[in-house]
Order: sequence, then structure tokens, then C-alpha cells
Amino acid sequence: MNNLLIWPVAVPLLSAVLTLLWPRRSTWIGVLGTTLSLLAVVLVSRQVVESGAIELALGGWSPGLGIALRADGLSVLMLLMSTLVSMAVAVYASVYISRSERRSEFWVLWLLLITALHALFLSGDLFNLYVTLELLGLSAVVLACLGGSRESLQAALNYLMLGLLGSMAFLIGVALIYAGYGTLDMAALAAAIESGPTAWVALSLMTGGLLIKSALFPLHFWLPPAHSNAPAPVSAVLSALVVKAALYLILRLWLALFDEVVTQTAALILGLLGGIAVLWGSWAALQAERLKLMAAYSTVAQVGYLFLFLPLLAALPEGTTRDVALGALVLLALTHGFAKSAFFLAAGVIMQRAGHDRIAELGGTARALPVTAFTLALAGVALIGLPPSGSFLAKWQLLSSVFITGQWIWLPVIAVGTLLAGAYTFRLLGYAFAPGEGVGPSLSVGREEIPAVLLALAATLVLGFWASAVWELVPISAYAGGEG
Amino acid sequence: MMNLTLLPDLLLAGMLIGLAWAALSSDDLRRGVVLFIAFGLLLAIVWARLLAPDLALAEAAIGAGLSGALLLVALRDGSGGDKRAAKRSRLNRWLIDLFVLVMTCLIGWVLWLTIYAEPVERLAQLANAMLDRSGVSNPVTAVLLNYRAYDTLLELVVVLAAVLGVLVVGRERRGYREAGPVFYGLVHWLVPLLIVTAGYLLWVGAHAPGGAFQAGATLAAAGIVLRLAGYDAAGLPDGRLLRWLLVAGTGVFLLLGLGMNVSGGRFLQYPEAWSGSLILVIEVAATASIAAALVLAYRGGRTDGWLFMDNKDKSREVSS
Amino acid sequence: MTQALIYALTGAVLFMLGVRATLLRESLLPRLLALNICGAGVFLIFVSLAYRGDSLPVDPVPHALVLTGLVVAISATALALALNRRLREMADE
Repeated sequence: MNNLLIWPVAVPLLSAVLTLLWPRRSTWIGVLGTTLSLLAVVLVSRQVVESGAIELALGGWSPGLGIALRADGLSVLMLLMSTLVSMAVAVYASVYISRSERRSEFWVLWLLLITALHALFLSGDLFNLYVTLELLGLSAVVLACLGGSRESLQAALNYLMLGLLGSMAFLIGVALIYAGYGTLDMAALAAAIESGPTAWVALSLMTGGLLIKSALFPLHFWLPPAHSNAPAPVSAVLSALVVKAALYLILRLWLALFDEVVTQTAALILGLLGGIAVLWGSWAALQAERLKLMAAYSTVAQVGYLFLFLPLLAALPEGTTRDVALGALVLLALTHGFAKSAFFLAAGVIMQRAGHDRIAELGGTARALPVTAFTLALAGVALIGLPPSGSFLAKWQLLSSVFITGQWIWLPVIAVGTLLAGAYTFRLLGYAFAPGEGVGPSLSVGREEIPAVLLALAATLVLGFWASAVWELVPISAYAGGEG
Repeated sequence: MMNLTLLPDLLLAGMLIGLAWAALSSDDLRRGVVLFIAFGLLLAIVWARLLAPDLALAEAAIGAGLSGALLLVALRDGSGGDKRAAKRSRLNRWLIDLFVLVMTCLIGWVLWLTIYAEPVERLAQLANAMLDRSGVSNPVTAVLLNYRAYDTLLELVVVLAAVLGVLVVGRERRGYREAGPVFYGLVHWLVPLLIVTAGYLLWVGAHAPGGAFQAGATLAAAGIVLRLAGYDAAGLPDGRLLRWLLVAGTGVFLLLGLGMNVSGGRFLQYPEAWSGSLILVIEVAATASIAAALVLAYRGGRTDGWLFMDNKDKSREVSS
Repeated sequence: MTQALIYALTGAVLFMLGVRATLLRESLLPRLLALNICGAGVFLIFVSLAYRGDSLPVDPVPHALVLTGLVVAISATALALALNRRLREMADE
């Protein structure tokens, strides 16, 4: 039953509507809706694992005239990441947000954000992607300003304006594609698009727009303030998921739709920007004085790593080697998703207990909040890329792709980036495990600490041991015209 | 070869660019906003010229009308000031101009290729050919509410997210004083007229230019007129009813779509005999939600009714 | 198809004028105007793609896309203005 494909979008949307109508039950509906969305994604994933990529032509119209939803390996992996992370964050938020008077609005927007993410990962139509991008952007902006402080509003407004510019660039690219190919359906486009001025100009405009949204250096400047000033559960999903949505689209465009258009030079440029992002972001994270700001700069660096893969993917011939490299990219993105959300949730626990997140004053955290300190350590392991985390395997494959393609230039970037990540993680852990009174007296383990540590465990252990599943899923493509 | 029949088009295009330039380079914000509204109205004429009457209506109502109203009250909020132009270095400005010039040429080149040099067959024929099966005879409505109904559903969700944002960040704008007798009299026939027009646009959308968006915007205009006349609520209900109004469009659309899913079809696949009526039901609900959202966006801020719910919430918690 | 081309090129110019002003201006309202004009440029390109001469029926798909885009644009504009207003209030307090 391909009708299954609508449920990951419909369930959170329906829950959002119900939350708005019954605000007093918002927490329950919110958590329940997130759980049911998880269930819908699991059902879709099982179908993809069993029978390959699936398609749902909405309204019964043939794709092209109508809109098709498609699920393949890549989208299922992104869906699983987003739904698992949001499940854990929802449990956390049910405690964290419980006393806020904006509680009911939080849950409505939370569910709308999940709707947007799922709709984006499933969409098979370029214009529909624009609508999902806008929904994602607007709901993320409103969530980011729920904190209510002046800094968070200013950051949210900047985020909104840049996001709009990004969407406009994406949309004009879509217009040029419709001008040149007469359809918006991505499967048809994957087969039709060939190298030429239309494809070049459209791809650069769309990529440019998405680079703003994925915060690749030098378009990263909006990210640290926006991510570090939002409430903790919101920061977690912004850094772990929302940034990945734009990256997912870049992968789709570059590898499936425009695979014949992408040149080595273009990929190299993005790779270089990624390399600078790795170094600059890690350096800034090392300098950061606040925990959440450090986490946000670390996101800039981690996004950079993902872009390092593009020149390698462009240089590798289609086939198993390239699928392995692509799998490593996805694994790195997933690990970062779990680790960074765990990190932000832990930072939120510290903020609530200590009333601040100044790194230098975090002494005593390990004694007062042992679970949270452990979460930070585990997430740090994944951010550095130490075994047995998923990012260790991913970086291993990244290195082996470097050897295969002979693009030695990335070796020092990866080495220095990893050392810097180690430095900023151990600097933090040094303070957190030092004796001190910064965080206050010990309390019982809070209900909100559990989801954070589970996310961190997923990043370090689950993804490390089950990484082969990622490599098995990635080659299942709904856009056979492209990835082949 | 220059053709005289192109003269009106060239004139319109030139005026559009001129107005946009003037609106964007104006240092006086009020002037910029007024020029922007004029730009929107001119764009509505261009839509009509390009045989897009649905868009002409929507642009006049939403693009120029409501955007303009929102921007003008934003001026009243005192968003003004800030005369200082960005302090960019000369090199920086020069680079930006170069980038803009190059990109314009590239986009123009692609457009010349795809529209003029090697025209491409697009979806026109298919969309018009399937019209019989769509349940409506206005092709734009067929695309919006049948072929690409999923887009429209998500778009209603975008409106919902934005209006929640407006409610979350702001307090209600202070009201206007009571209107003078002349305006008061005007309101008494203007508001019913707008409501009737909205109803007409909604109904006629099935076979002629019009539809939920145009109707919603017209209805919102009625709300704004009420607000200007000193009715603080702007015709909107409070509390729970307002919530129902805001989600009506999304909710009805989604439930009908899922209904099709459960009863054996695809999501949003209307049974052919019913599609006309189902589309009308969805459009009525969407009109109500869009109008409510647009009036709220103009009025701004959390409403008393909204707060009331939350206060009740809190008192319950305290007592339990 | 010359008419369609004229308007499409106008759309390209409007889009880039909007981008330019977004990059050059700093305060919110001019940037918001700029983004709206950007959007208008994209919409104009879409609508000129739909136009196939005065005698042939138009392509309704781009018209519907533009209607969707218009509503998205005003939603974003309303949100940006609300945020800006709250920031002004906070600056005054």
C-alpha cells in the first residue's frame, strides 16, 4: 500500500490541528503525535527495505501534472533520523517546556516543523519542495523566538530574512527548470536534465539558496546566534535536523537530478568552502565561552565535513565505491544529528539547573548532573569521531575516498579539524568534570536527562554497530535516471 | 525588428522596473512603501495583460492591498528612522553590482533560450485536457485544488505557522479611535459589499477567475475596514471559535484528503462525481481560515481571547 | 513569443534588483520590500512561461504556483513585520 507514504506528513499535521483546538492537552497530543509520526516512518521504512523505493501519486494524477511523494534509501534514512531525534526531544520538551505559558504554541509549531521535515524528505516535486522549505523556515523561526529574549528575536529575524532570500534563489531556479524542461516532477527531470546553460544557471541558483540555509561558510554567520539563543529543544532540532534538510536537497540535486551537469570544479569549490568551515568553525568553537554557542559553531564545522564529500563523490565513478562514500556522508550526517541534539539537550539541562552555560564556570557538573555530564562526553566522542561512534566509520571511509581519488588536499583539513574537535570537547569536559559549585547541589536524575543520553548513545553505539544498514539503504534510489 | 504592437508591453515592463528601482532606492521609507504599492497595482495590470485574471485579482488584493496595509501600519509602529545606508566599502558595492549584472545576464540568456530560441512544450495541454475530470472549469482552480492540491494544503499550513508566529511574538496593536460619521456611514455599506464580493469570488472560482485566496483576501479587507472604523475585534471572534476558524482550512482539507485515502483512493483523490462539491467545501473552509489569518496578521499580537484560554489553563494547574 | 520574453526578462531584472537591495540595505523594511520585489520577479517569470500568445489557452500550472507563492510571501512578510515590531517595542522599554 503506497498510500502509507502520506502518513508521515498527515499524522504530525493532524496532531498540530488537534493541539491548536485543545491547547490544554497540548503536551499529551504533542508527544502522542510525535510517537505516531515515528510509527508512520517506521512502517514506510520497512516497506522500502522490503520492496525498494516507493512512489505515491497524490490525487491519482500522473506525476508531472500532479505531485508525487517518493521514498527511497536516502529519504528513509533522513526520515528515521528526524523522527527518532524529534521523539527524544519531544519527551525532553514535555518536561522542559511544561511550565511555559507558550506551551501550547510550542507544541503546535513543533508538530508543524515535523510535518515540514517529513514533507521535504518525501517530496518528489520541485515546487512542492519550495513550499516545504518555506514551511520549515517559518516554523523554525517562530520556534526560535519562543525564548522571547531580544537576542533570540533579533537572531530569528535575521534567520528569517536570509532564509527568505535562500528560498527566492531556489524558486527562481525552479522557474528556470520549468522553463527549460516543462515539468517539475523530479523523476522526469532526473531523466531529462542534460548539461547546458539552463541546467548550469538553475543549479547554481538553487544550490546558492540552499547553501544559505545549510550555513556553509561564508554564509554561516546567521547560524550561531540563531541556534544558541533558542530554547534548548528548539536548538537541538535546528542544529540536528533543519540544517540537514537543506543538505539533503543539495545531495538530491547534485547526485540525482543534475548528476550529468555537476563538474569537478564546482564540487571542488564547495569542498574548499567546506574545508574552511571545518577549520574556522572548530576554531571558533574552541574560543566560545558559552556551551550553546560552542555547540552552534561545532555545527558550522560539522556541516563543513559533509561538503568535503562532494568533490570526492564527483571524482568517484558511479557504482559501489561512490555508494560507499555517499553512505559515509549520510552516516556522518546522522551521527551529527543524534550527537548534536544530545549535546544541546544536555546544555539545556545545565542551563536550567545552573542558570547559565558559561563553560569556565561549569565545575561540579559531573557531580551534580552525572547523567548529563556523561551525555556531553558521549556526544563529544561522536563529534570528534572516535570509535565506536558512527562518525569514526564515516571519517574512515572519508579518508579511504581521499586515498582512492588522490585528493590529498583534504587530509590536513580532516586531521586538523579532528584535533580541534578533540580540543574543544576536552576543554569542555575538563571544566565539567572538575570539582566546583558552578551547577549547584546534586538532584535526582531528571526525566529530561534520559532522552539526551539515549540520543548520545545512539550516535556513539547504535550507529557505530549498525552502520552497515546505512550502506545497504543508500543505494536504493527512486531517481534511477540519475544515480543509476 | 521592432514591432509597434510591442510598444505597450515595453512601456509596462519599463514602468515596472522604474517603480521597483524607485521603491528600492528611496531613503524615505514611507515613499518606498507607497511606490511598492503602486508597483503591486501595476503588476496586477501586467497579470491581466498576460491573461492571468486570477492573479490580477489576487495581486490587487494580497500583493498590493494587504501587503501594503501591513507595511503602512509597520511605518506607523515607528519602524522608520535608520536612514543610514549600509556602510559597504566601494569595492564591496562594486562586486555586488558586478554579481547582479552577471546573474541577470545569465538568467536572461536562459530565458531567451527556453522561451524564444527553442520553445519548450510544458504542461498547458495536459492541464487543459484533464479539466473535464477535475470537477471545475476554471483551470487555475483545477490546478490549485485538484492536480496540485497538496501544495495548497501545505500552503495553508504555512499561513497557519506564520499567524501563530504573529500571535507568539507580539501584543495586540492599539486600536483606532471611533470613526467619524462619514466614515462610519461608509463602513455600513462597504463591509457588507466586501462580504458579498468575497462570497461571489468564492462561488465563481469554480468556472471563472476567483477562488479561495481572492475571497479570503476580500473578506480580510472587510475585517480591516471594521478595524479602521474603531471596531477593535475587526469582526473576529475570540478564544476557541477563533482557533477553529484558523484551522478550518487545513483541517477540512486534510480530513477530506485522508478520507479518500481510507476509502480506497489515493490521498486527495476525489471521486470524480463529487470533486466539484468537495472542492467547494474545501474552498469555503480555506477562505475562512485565510481571512482570519490575514486580519490577525494586520491586527497583530495575542488576542484577549487567546490569552484567556491560557490563563484558564494556568488557574487550573494552580488549583490541581 | 516576444511579449512573453519581454516580461520574463523584466522578471529577471526585478529579481536581481531585489537581490541587490537585500545585500546593500541594512534596515528591515527596505530589505523586506526588496525580497517582495524579488518574489514579484520570479512570479513574473513563471507567468510569462504560461503565456502562449493571445489566441492559445494559457498554461494554468504557473498561475497556480504563483498564487501559492503570493500567499507564502505575504505570510512571511507578516511574520517579519511582527518580529520587527516586537523588537522595536523591546528597544523602547
